[in-house]
Amino acid sequence: MDRRNFFKILSVTSAGALGGCGGKADRAIPLLVPEHEIVPGEEQWHPAVCAECGAGCATVVRIMEGVRVVDRNGEAVRERIAAIKKIEGNPLDPISGGRLCARGQASVQSLYHPDRLRGPMKRTGQRGQAAFAAISWADAIGQAAEMLAKVRAADPARIVFLGGAQAGTRSLAIQRFTEALGAPAPVVCSLADHAVEHKAAEIAFGWKGLPVYDLAHAHYTLGVGADFLGGWASPVYYARQFGDFRQGRRQIRGQLVQAESRLSITAAAADRWLPLRPGSEPQFLAAVGRMLLDAGLARKPEALPKAVVQAFQAADPAALLATCGLEEKRVRQIVKELGESEAPLVLAGASVPHTNSVDAVVTSHYVNLMLGNVGKPGGVHAPAEASEDPGNRALLASKKQPPTQPSRDREGAVVPADPRLSQSLAHAQVVLIDGANPVYTMPHSAGVTDAQARAELVIAFGSFLDDSAAWADLLLPDHHALESEMALVPAVSERQAVAISTPFVEPLYDTRAVETTLAELARKIGAEYQGVTPKDIVQPLLTEGVSYEDVAREGGIWLEPPPPTSPRPPTVAPSFAAAHFEGDAAQYPFHFQPYPSLQFHDGRGANLPWLQELPDPASSSIWGLPVEIDPKTAAALRIGNGDVVRVESPYGSLEAPAYVHPGAVPGVVSMAIGDGHSHYSRYASGRGANPLAILAPVWESSTGALVLGATRVRLARAGGRRGWTQFSTGDRQERGFDGR
Amino acid sequence: MEHRWGMAIDLDRCTGCEACVVACHAENNLPISTPEQAAQGRTTHWIRIDRYYEGEFPDIKVRYMPVLCQHCDNAPCEPVCPTYATYHNQEGLNVQVYNRCVGTFYCANNCPYTVRYFNWFAPEWPEPLALQHNPDVAVRPAGVMEKCTFCIQRIKRAKQDSAAEARPLADGDVQPACVQSCPAEAMVFGDLNDPASKVSRLAQDGRATRLLEELGTKPKVFYLRKG
Repeated sequence: MDRRNFFKILSVTSAGALGGCGGKADRAIPLLVPEHEIVPGEEQWHPAVCAECGAGCATVVRIMEGVRVVDRNGEAVRERIAAIKKIEGNPLDPISGGRLCARGQASVQSLYHPDRLRGPMKRTGQRGQAAFAAISWADAIGQAAEMLAKVRAADPARIVFLGGAQAGTRSLAIQRFTEALGAPAPVVCSLADHAVEHKAAEIAFGWKGLPVYDLAHAHYTLGVGADFLGGWASPVYYARQFGDFRQGRRQIRGQLVQAESRLSITAAAADRWLPLRPGSEPQFLAAVGRMLLDAGLARKPEALPKAVVQAFQAADPAALLATCGLEEKRVRQIVKELGESEAPLVLAGASVPHTNSVDAVVTSHYVNLMLGNVGKPGGVHAPAEASEDPGNRALLASKKQPPTQPSRDREGAVVPADPRLSQSLAHAQVVLIDGANPVYTMPHSAGVTDAQARAELVIAFGSFLDDSAAWADLLLPDHHALESEMALVPAVSERQAVAISTPFVEPLYDTRAVETTLAELARKIGAEYQGVTPKDIVQPLLTEGVSYEDVAREGGIWLEPPPPTSPRPPTVAPSFAAAHFEGDAAQYPFHFQPYPSLQFHDGRGANLPWLQELPDPASSSIWGLPVEIDPKTAAALRIGNGDVVRVESPYGSLEAPAYVHPGAVPGVVSMAIGDGHSHYSRYASGRGANPLAILAPVWESSTGALVLGATRVRLARAGGRRGWTQFSTGDRQERGFDGR
Repeated sequence: MEHRWGMAIDLDRCTGCEACVVACHAENNLPISTPEQAAQGRTTHWIRIDRYYEGEFPDIKVRYMPVLCQHCDNAPCEPVCPTYATYHNQEGLNVQVYNRCVGTFYCANNCPYTVRYFNWFAPEWPEPLALQHNPDVAVRPAGVMEKCTFCIQRIKRAKQDSAAEARPLADGDVQPACVQSCPAEAMVFGDLNDPASKVSRLAQDGRATRLLEELGTKPKVFYLRKG
């Protein structure tokens, strides 16, 4: 769908022409498609929202006739329905620009997934055995309400709601529900909430939200630790920006240098890759800052307070770069090019968080201030949330709470367990889970499974029987996102924006929107719960002459970006402390880095066959993810490509195929997150190993983010090649099968 | 002929994100493989991302390259088909007629780009996955060869739409699913007969090259190298 066609369809709709025989029938209307309006062979397009990650891409959905077989009184009956055929980006959305990533497009497979939950269910076996039987909604709500009322009367603090990272109608509804019950605020239980980047922007600039990098207008970009073309904050937005950064300008081709401890797809796209040692990002950026100051290339050193400049001046580049494992001469050359560029940019993040990642990202902001690019074209821009517009309170309220109590104490970086998650779960009697899969995404050592096993009632709202739902008592399945009414606030946007979706196809099964279930529960308990609709979130953004219906028809509202304002001057001096790692270096000589990939993200894409079949960008493996090991280590341990390797940390071990990766940093073992679900449909259950399971329970102290990169491991060959397939490799022998 | 369809892929924009691969699966009802079939090399990807490593750590380079049917003007797959199942149409597309194909495999043997895929098994979609199927595209049975069609159904639809509006096809009216999805806008599709079309201009770019051009296949997919 391109912009011109979409506008054409919109104009047809607003003129009231409803197509029909002989006319162009495709139109975008935010209304339910009645069965009699489905004309075989004719298409309709409807606006929707992609809920696969927090990026909040608005989409358009193609609908045509479909036939499903339903059971009516024991008889198989064919039924015509409006079926979703394809999902594309909404061309009116400045974030997706009419484009969509692999995961967004594959989400239609979760709508028509053969293993979707088809109605409410109740546990019949032991917890964790995943034995459930169908139950009516009335009984399910009755049982849930009874227990919730009992616990609420005794101690509402024992009701814990675990939610996802997305901000919108859902997060606001959950927040209002917990408030109505007097329960603690919902805990964001996600690997993809970018808590580290949020915190760093708050410390450096006082911004609430993720900074927006204007990559498309930068001339020279130094990426540090952020796999922004992979599974980071807004993959479609940054891929679009990257395309223009490279070839969108007549005379300028943007130069990208990526400093990262893994050859990610961002590092692969870069002109040069600086393989950092894990956790050395703050030291690297300190050296960059010092070199810029020394060479007189810091254009605006006055933007930084004295204490910050002094901290950079006290840094010793030679010693720091030695800890990063980088050659000083090479870095000096890059710093010179960066400093001399007309539009330099440092784009830092924590795709694999370390204990010192907040320091790293804060330091990168200081380097950007030094380079004078904050608020400038090609520089760092404030997120929409930074706006003080009082009319926008509903929007702000829907933004998620920070996952832990803010703490400025960053001295003791290591906390035994995420204070808030573990404290909440330790005494939880009722656990409600929506948009999260803590049993999978939290290390075994975090004790989430034990907490779920201890609780008196666990309710899961997801569409699938996943790892966490297997430990639940009641499954109250939500509608699929494509069947839901919802509003999502994009994670990365300098404009105030909301993408919205109104239902346009009938729910396939006996499911209920979580908002409806929560309202019903609150009513039964007698709690004062105020429902939330997309309209509530959009209303404060409406300008004169624009109605909510206009917004619904276009799939969202995206206001003009506000003029750039100067951020408040920074007050906190940077810290260049070393990262902490769990495990004795002599016994566990390798660093372990599980990472969120583009196709599986935090593991939630693993139930879709299209994504399982998508070759992993590093190893080209399909239907199974490998452990990436550098060739020298592999040779020393006699590990061949595809051999089964045992990865052991002080907290557990896993076995997975080895991929001898020519670009792996020696001493660093990486693995994409996605495999190793105990339960997650026929396509993911019991397949491969979960790298998160063996992590040490280390949490970034100021945010409570799980530190993915803090665990040391040892490796051993555990056997020959067993059922691991690579789709396409340069060396055909590497593929593991003959004859193609 | 009125049109001569071609594609340009800018490798300097391409990030290897594989959005095009899923877009193609969704648009063209590609069969889903099981892990066992995949292990035998029986997966189907009309467009795939080839990945190459060059050099050694730390000076290693990664190259991603989307590879699909190159719709060669001088296609090696065409003259070898005993049943004329694969032929060149009026608009330069290399077309596969599924109900003529008897599965001799000669075309796939002769294709230097290895972009032809054989249906070794009858495709299966556990209910209700098939509800997603695009009714504009036939589901292929076991025993026939298939490959990228440049989304011929989209070309037809765009022609119908422009005819209904009594106007000629404009540049950009036709977008195959892969081109439509590409977040980095690395792929451009259009009419090579129109010298003003974006694809024609990109084909003339100094960075443009064609895959295995020396074989004389005259591909209609142009790759723009990095830099």
